[in-house]
Amino acid sequence: MMGKRSLVSVVDDDESVRESLPDLLREFGFAAEAFSSAEAFLASDVVSDTSCLLLDIAMPGMSGPELQQELIRRQQEIPIVFITAQGDKAVRPRLLAHGAVECLLKPFSETALLAAVNTALRMRSE
Amino acid sequence: MTTERVMLNDGWTCFQGANADDAAAYTATADLISILNTVDAPIVVARRDSVIVFFNKAAADVLGLSPSDIGRPFCDVSVLAGLPRLEERCSQVAASGVDSRADFRERDRWFVVRISPYTNGDRQVTGTVLTFTNVTAFRGSIDQAIYERECTKAILNTVGDPLVVLSADQRIQSGNRAFYSMFGVSRDETQGVPLYDLGGGAFELALLRTQLEEMLAGSHAFQPVEADLVLPGKGPRTLVLDARPLSFPGHSERRVLVTFQDITARKQAEAAKDLRSEAELRRSEAFLAEGQRLSVTGSFCWKVATDEITWSEQLYRIYEFEIGVPVTLERIRTRVHPGDLSVLEKMKMVGQARGGGHDFEWQYRLIMPDHSIKYLHAVAHAIRDRDGQLEYIAAVQDVTARRMSEEALAEARSELAKVARVTSLGVLTASIAHEVNQPLSGIITNASTCLRMLDADPPNVDGARETARRTIRDGNRASDVITRLRALFSKKEFTFELLDLNEVTREVIALSLSDLQRNRVALQLELAEDLPTIIGDRIQLQQVILNLLRNASDAMVDVHDRPRQLLVRTEREDGDRVRVSVRDAGVGVDPRSMNKLFDAFYTTKSDGMGIGLSVSRSIIEGHQGRLWAESNDGPGATFSFSIPSGPESVTNAAPR
Repeated sequence: MMGKRSLVSVVDDDESVRESLPDLLREFGFAAEAFSSAEAFLASDVVSDTSCLLLDIAMPGMSGPELQQELIRRQQEIPIVFITAQGDKAVRPRLLAHGAVECLLKPFSETALLAAVNTALRMRSE
Repeated sequence: MTTERVMLNDGWTCFQGANADDAAAYTATADLISILNTVDAPIVVARRDSVIVFFNKAAADVLGLSPSDIGRPFCDVSVLAGLPRLEERCSQVAASGVDSRADFRERDRWFVVRISPYTNGDRQVTGTVLTFTNVTAFRGSIDQAIYERECTKAILNTVGDPLVVLSADQRIQSGNRAFYSMFGVSRDETQGVPLYDLGGGAFELALLRTQLEEMLAGSHAFQPVEADLVLPGKGPRTLVLDARPLSFPGHSERRVLVTFQDITARKQAEAAKDLRSEAELRRSEAFLAEGQRLSVTGSFCWKVATDEITWSEQLYRIYEFEIGVPVTLERIRTRVHPGDLSVLEKMKMVGQARGGGHDFEWQYRLIMPDHSIKYLHAVAHAIRDRDGQLEYIAAVQDVTARRMSEEALAEARSELAKVARVTSLGVLTASIAHEVNQPLSGIITNASTCLRMLDADPPNVDGARETARRTIRDGNRASDVITRLRALFSKKEFTFELLDLNEVTREVIALSLSDLQRNRVALQLELAEDLPTIIGDRIQLQQVILNLLRNASDAMVDVHDRPRQLLVRTEREDGDRVRVSVRDAGVGVDPRSMNKLFDAFYTTKSDGMGIGLSVSRSIIEGHQGRLWAESNDGPGATFSFSIPSGPESVTNAAPR
């Protein structure tokens, strides 16, 4: 770890995810912020500081992939790890093809989470 | 012996062998002639050889005899020549010494001629005296009477119904032609015969005799009497006898006119009609029984005062009693659900308190020997019978099947239960996974965090405690989801039938009306009249409509500045499709969310599960239809579905 902790932002409309995930990320040694919607994240001042984005797919309002497109449009290339409870493995290759670092199907283990976040951070630092 | 003709006091006479010298005799004779000339009636005296020897003045005036007729025989006097056999009669009178009478008509006048013997002083009959009494006036009234009698007789003879006049001792006086013809008798052989001997004694009836005797005693009342008899040449007949009193002015004796009416044909027609109506009655009874069986409706009649109960066959079947066993209240009580026994008592009391003419409607249950429950719906009409006793006439319908489906429907109204019936597992798998994975994810994340906090040096016990609490909360949340979803796994078969979507819609609205009213929703219905039928599952489609109605109603909960207008419309679409649309004036749908509306577990409601619209869409797609949403020009949104009409949806629905 170098000096400042990397910021991992979580965008999910599910409250229990917003409560639990940042705590675990902090246990891993990251800084963490949680947002209930894509709009709230875009409106915040942490977009450019975010090293990795844990992004839910299905949300009211702007969906996860829509946020991804919006970030590309704004030239904010944040590595994205999708997290979804849909349980549909078919979406994963499509999301990866569109530039996602990983797609985690809820519930996921801490190992999988850590691996995905680390991959994302490596891409960010490259 | 000389014959002298003399005229005395305008009268003419002739005296045979009179002695002109016998002055005293002459005087006496002249006096007598004078007297005879004052008599109005013509008098003519003739010798035994019928030669006229005297006539008085009236004979000259009335009959036109002239003095020259003296000494002539009757046959030479034209006016007397009109009297048939006059000379012969006179000879008989002279010979017998007994008077004789004869009718004599002279032109338009009628006379009665009395022929008497003329006796001389020696008591010898030497001639005859003819006295003419003018009876013309009298004779006219007799003629009239005869004429009228003949007319009456003719009229009576043309009357088809037999008539007979009875004397005071009820003997036959005379009858009309129909009377004699009916009984095959003649006037002569029945004259004076008692009525009761007629027709082989068929009229020997106490009722008839009593009434006739009372009538002859002055009563005018007579109740027609029926008599059966065998008539010659006609066979068995039924006659009705009627009678009325006859009285004649100047006659004290009362008589009775009896009429006979042959009602055999009418009786036969009535008998035939009775037979027919009996057949019709049997047929309508059969109809009724069949109607009761088909509609599972029985009927009964209950005389409250005597507890006399009459049941229809169907009611026996409903109660599962052997048909025909006597029905008592005790027996009924063995079947009625204990909780509903009070209904029987109430009915009895209310009926007695209020009197007849009140209709009742009530529901009650039966417990059958196999412990199954039957739901009955009864309608009773209380009336008073002729004796003023309370009586119930009631129809009882077995509504168990309907009740069961009502209960099933009520059950289906709960959203989960509805979904459970209709949702295919395929549609739900992802949804269930989503709903369960969410808390599971929380649990694993929290548990991982918890372990890490405990493993730290020093352990972060407070943090670990907090994450452990969250773990429990998420575990409960997952458990709740499982509970809520459990019902979804009981899958039932779909039933496809011909449906009128208007009817389906109306039924749902009837179910939702109270909900809508509670939410102060103003409902407007526009159901197309020419809507073709569709083929589908009634319950499923009703769930879709119900879901749309609830969504619309919920969308308007926060609307306070305008009417909560809800429009339900059915219409025919091009291409033989039927559309149902539900338009609200609520918060509307975010255009960006439009495509997510139908995703499972997508919801904008705080208490919703987000499965209503996704299930609805899968139902509509199962009907080869589509379900979509549109934003209104004004406030609110419109949700519509359209499905193919007619039989082609059958072929489409069939496996390919």
